[in-house]
Amino acid sequence: MSQALTTAHSVVAPSVLSKRIAGAIVILYALVSMIPLAWILMTGFKTPPDSIAYPPKIVFAPSLEGYCNLFTTRTRQTQEYIQSLGPPQTICDEITRKRDMVIAGPSNYVPRFWNSLVIAFGSTFCAVSLGVLSAYAFSRFRIPLADDLLFFILSTRMMPPIAVAIPIYLMYRKLGLSDTALGMILLYTAVNVSLAVWLLKGFIDEIPREYEEAAMIDGYTRLHAFFKVVLPQAATGIAATAIFCLIFAWNEYAFAVLLTSGEAQTAPPFIPTIIGEGGMDWPAVGAGTTLFLVPLLVFTVLLRKHLLRGITFGAVRK
Amino acid sequence: MSDLLNRFMRFRRGPWENLATLVIAAGVLMLMQPLSLTLYTWSFATMLAGTVMFVIVSKFPE
Amino acid sequence: MGRIAAPARTRRIRGLSDKAIAWAFIAPTMVLLLAINIFPLIWTIYLSFTNYQANRPNRPITYVGTKWYRDILGSPDVWAAMQATAHFVFWTILLQTLIGFGLAYLIDRKFRGHAFWTTIILVPMMLSPAVVGNFWKFLYQPQIGLFNSIVSFFTGIEPSSFEMLGSVSLSPWSIIIVDTWMWTPYVMLICLAGLRSIPDYIYEAAEVDRASLWRQFWSITLPMALPFIMLAVLFRGIENFKMFDMVNLLTGGGPGSTTEVASITLKREAFEKWRTGYSSAFAIILFVAVFGLANIYVKALNRVKQR
Repeated sequence: MSQALTTAHSVVAPSVLSKRIAGAIVILYALVSMIPLAWILMTGFKTPPDSIAYPPKIVFAPSLEGYCNLFTTRTRQTQEYIQSLGPPQTICDEITRKRDMVIAGPSNYVPRFWNSLVIAFGSTFCAVSLGVLSAYAFSRFRIPLADDLLFFILSTRMMPPIAVAIPIYLMYRKLGLSDTALGMILLYTAVNVSLAVWLLKGFIDEIPREYEEAAMIDGYTRLHAFFKVVLPQAATGIAATAIFCLIFAWNEYAFAVLLTSGEAQTAPPFIPTIIGEGGMDWPAVGAGTTLFLVPLLVFTVLLRKHLLRGITFGAVRK
Repeated sequence: MSDLLNRFMRFRRGPWENLATLVIAAGVLMLMQPLSLTLYTWSFATMLAGTVMFVIVSKFPE
Repeated sequence: MGRIAAPARTRRIRGLSDKAIAWAFIAPTMVLLLAINIFPLIWTIYLSFTNYQANRPNRPITYVGTKWYRDILGSPDVWAAMQATAHFVFWTILLQTLIGFGLAYLIDRKFRGHAFWTTIILVPMMLSPAVVGNFWKFLYQPQIGLFNSIVSFFTGIEPSSFEMLGSVSLSPWSIIIVDTWMWTPYVMLICLAGLRSIPDYIYEAAEVDRASLWRQFWSITLPMALPFIMLAVLFRGIENFKMFDMVNLLTGGGPGSTTEVASITLKREAFEKWRTGYSSAFAIILFVAVFGLANIYVKALNRVKQR
């Protein structure tokens, strides 16, 4: 019986050879799909001439020029002027002077990155706080038209961002919220709260009601039981939901490019505007992209067990 | 045939919801098909009808 | 805290609270969604019947009836944009479903290290479509780009002899390739859940009956994973129907209007030509399509829901 099952023709117990072939194909796919990301990382460490060399350079002398250009603005100066300066203070000074330029000041990358952080964390905090309250109510109480309300909440996330952006643009212009971090936080909270409610409802559904009921028999009020019993039990779920909300707000581009232009601009609309002398400064873009993507790689690893839940709004759990 | 009619006449959610789904799908296909401008013109009305129908029939008993 | 000292008060609050708490907990979310989603939606419906232009806020607003709807639904240009969207949606879904399901089927063989490689494969879908799309522009550069060099390495075609982004015949495929690279992992992950939901004993029974692997695939694997595949297809369909960020950065709708998908047309009308009334009507049309599909999606979601 068991021997009959370990043949090449078994789905339950595949043979060693079929496992090897499957593994080889999957690993090949994984490696090929990593090529663009590897190229981003490599481009960040190239010099501008290396980055646009033909044929594309796979082996190159690493340089920090991309990162220096990402964080600074530079002006072209005469040889005499550069020689009249003192010795270079930093490694970036040295690199820019080799190109007959001096550092004029910091670039906008750090403020844009900071905006992304503020807006992503602000909207995540609001969305998860609102979401956990609503999710608890939907999970534990009989609410009239609960299914319709839940569908309404979900449908708001499905809407095409450009279609929503037209009235939001007009509304924000009237309210003075255009190009403010507060406006973006409100908007991303509204988009994320739907995901938060659906995901957290799934997590709270899994916590046995008996826990709160026992606490309430001990004299806790409902609110007390919610804060002291349910919230700690749902901590993992809340963390996973928060990371999903962070990822959305971090990656969002459509609203950001239409509704922010200066003060509150986030990194995604900023990175494509990085230009050097004579076209795109690809090493700087590569450096900016790398720094922008690193948090996402960390999140992917943290979330790998909950990913499926997140992308199906909590419906598929394992 | 009369069996099918009976199923719809009892106003149960299942068959009506499937019908509404078909109407919505037909509307979306009409919107994106490359064959006839007339079908494209009527796609919005079809999608709207299907969606309204879906919202109404989801209130029918299981 | 005082819960023993004042039992009567506690009970009164508790008796009152359940319903009150339920509404107090839901109300903030609803208020926010009403303010940021429903109110703007109603405003859009109103604007779609007027000739309002956002760059001329002081001009008197006149009512134009269903003119914009008739214009859009009779316009060959918008129809062409819908077909560009259809081309994009059709091919991305087809490629992602085939590759994604294939990968899931192979990963389900549970070879050594499959969990690690699955995580690696999932990385592209977590990234920002805009930031990564922007970088693909570099990969697609005719001479210096990596993509053309790799194609030329395998086929021998001169790397500078074709332009992925600049030519009318290739640019629709350039966005399909990036989207497939990015979202195949999404389909793969959901298909994997579908395959894992099939209990082993069904296969064991089929093997006792000596059903071939081919038969097992068509009569067990595919039918039982189908609700999951449908879920993935519907969601990708909705997402790609409204695709904006990656296409906007990669081709911006060009060359000409070959990759001008619906959202790009909408952006041009709304934020470049400032035809707010017209674009509001267009937004409502897209909106109804997405709302209808979202209904179907939730139906599919309930079908695979696990308790």
